[in-house]
Amino acid sequence: MKRREFWLLFAPSFLVMGGLLVIPLIRTIQWSVENVRYGTPGTFVGFDNYVTALTDPRFGRAVLFTVTVTVITTAILLVLGYVIATGIDRLTKSRPIVLGLLLVSYVLPNLVGAVAFSWLFDDNFGGLVNRFIGLMGGGEVLWFTDQVPNAILIIANTVWHMLPFAMLIILAGLQGVPLELRESANIDGASPLQTHISVIIPTIRGVLGFVTLISIMDVLRMFDNLIPLSPQAEAIGNESIMLYVYSVAFANGAQELGLGSAINVLTIILILIMLIPFIRGIFKEAKALR
Amino acid sequence: MPKNRARRRPPIITGTLLGLFCLLTLSPIIWMTLSVTKPTNVAFANPPVFGGYQPTLQAFVDLWETTYFADYLTNTLVVAVVSTVIALVIGIPAAYALSRFPNYVSALLLVLALIFRALPRFAVVLPMYDISRSLGIYDTTFALAIALVAINQPFTIWLLRNFFADIPRELDEAAMLDGCTRIGVLRRVMIPLMGPGIITAGIFVFLFAFQEYLTALVLTDTSSKTVPVFIATQLGQTLPMLQQSGAAALLLTIPVIFIALVAQKYLVAGLSDGAVKG
Repeated sequence: MKRREFWLLFAPSFLVMGGLLVIPLIRTIQWSVENVRYGTPGTFVGFDNYVTALTDPRFGRAVLFTVTVTVITTAILLVLGYVIATGIDRLTKSRPIVLGLLLVSYVLPNLVGAVAFSWLFDDNFGGLVNRFIGLMGGGEVLWFTDQVPNAILIIANTVWHMLPFAMLIILAGLQGVPLELRESANIDGASPLQTHISVIIPTIRGVLGFVTLISIMDVLRMFDNLIPLSPQAEAIGNESIMLYVYSVAFANGAQELGLGSAINVLTIILILIMLIPFIRGIFKEAKALR
Repeated sequence: MPKNRARRRPPIITGTLLGLFCLLTLSPIIWMTLSVTKPTNVAFANPPVFGGYQPTLQAFVDLWETTYFADYLTNTLVVAVVSTVIALVIGIPAAYALSRFPNYVSALLLVLALIFRALPRFAVVLPMYDISRSLGIYDTTFALAIALVAINQPFTIWLLRNFFADIPRELDEAAMLDGCTRIGVLRRVMIPLMGPGIITAGIFVFLFAFQEYLTALVLTDTSSKTVPVFIATQLGQTLPMLQQSGAAALLLTIPVIFIALVAQKYLVAGLSDGAVKG
């Protein structure tokens, strides 16, 4: 393809992304070193906002909470996603209906799913989960006002929402594992568990890496589901980074745009560092094709 | 699917376990459906009531009559449809160009696409709020739709590019030898072959717009509010309003379940292709 043709085809998309992603992003970087409010030009304050963010204990708690939830959620997604994908890989006729039902929690708007999810735990709606725990001999759990139970609730909801995605990607990976590989492991006398650990998992590690990456990226940015699941997020210490940005830079007329932008930039840097291996992969592919 | 896998014995235990698991993942939606169709005093009873009441659709009637739900639903649908159409119209040529231009420019642009897909939403949405206010388009469905086009464009291109990459280049060359221009190749040869790819990308962009809460929360106020934003504002309110928000949530859930079952093939293709090849 000629250069001119390339740009002709690419220009509309390029302009939209340039105007509506790149320019706002530059604005965020600029705001992060300014004292600024909406609609008025800011004044340059150097790295003050970064210092404020990094020394604010509330920000520290938000980072700790977000990272903890991200790590636990990602680990559960990988294990559970793998187990479910292995199960579905064995299904034949019933596979489409099972996949369809499992996809529901993924295609549901995150906020709507979290509202539905919260009602199972909410004593206002009969407290179904607490009734069940009571039947098993447990005491009443304060799912919305106690930090650890609330964090468990948030993790359970995030897993619920993202599991179909993780499972589908892993399933696609499993279907790419040559059958001969499994059979030869079988002939060599490997138990099913050994076959999984030493043959199948190493073969699909690229796919598992991708699931890990997307899961980390998405959970680090969690926001929507906390609105119904953790109405008192700040008070009980379960505030996510994005919820913190929202409350300093937008909610209820808040105007600390500089601080909010600085936190956004810090989050971007964190995400970029994690993307490095994938960026390398793309460049390698491009080189090979040249 | 390989033949030898299909020949295996039907795995009854696996099937049963997965069936139970499906039921478990659907339980929040089942419980919400029950809660919404109960009379208000029964819906909020503790211990929960499972039977012996007259199911009612009163919450839906109230939702329709006492709130502007119809407007919010219209806004949500307009935003989703408009952003899907624009995203495809600009995304298809861009993805085609990228799939046929394998050098550092194309790789660099894809890397940028990946980075923008990973960005914290607020890093672009807060400046968009500021810009849309100064342009006077704040709180319009158009501003929200175009914002979502931009936010989802990296993913759209990424997905479409993988489908284009599957179509052999010899086809382009043959068509061009026959006198087609590049645009002609795209229009007459590629787009007809890309049917499933375009449907897949369309479904994803539609779903993303339909699901969006954060962007709508920041970029809309009263006149272009979408259903997810409405549901969130109902949450801390009175019990009947809470039940209405459940009714609204259910009305968003039904079409989405329909999509999951009917368009499952495309969803699966989009998710696995985007990942395994990308």
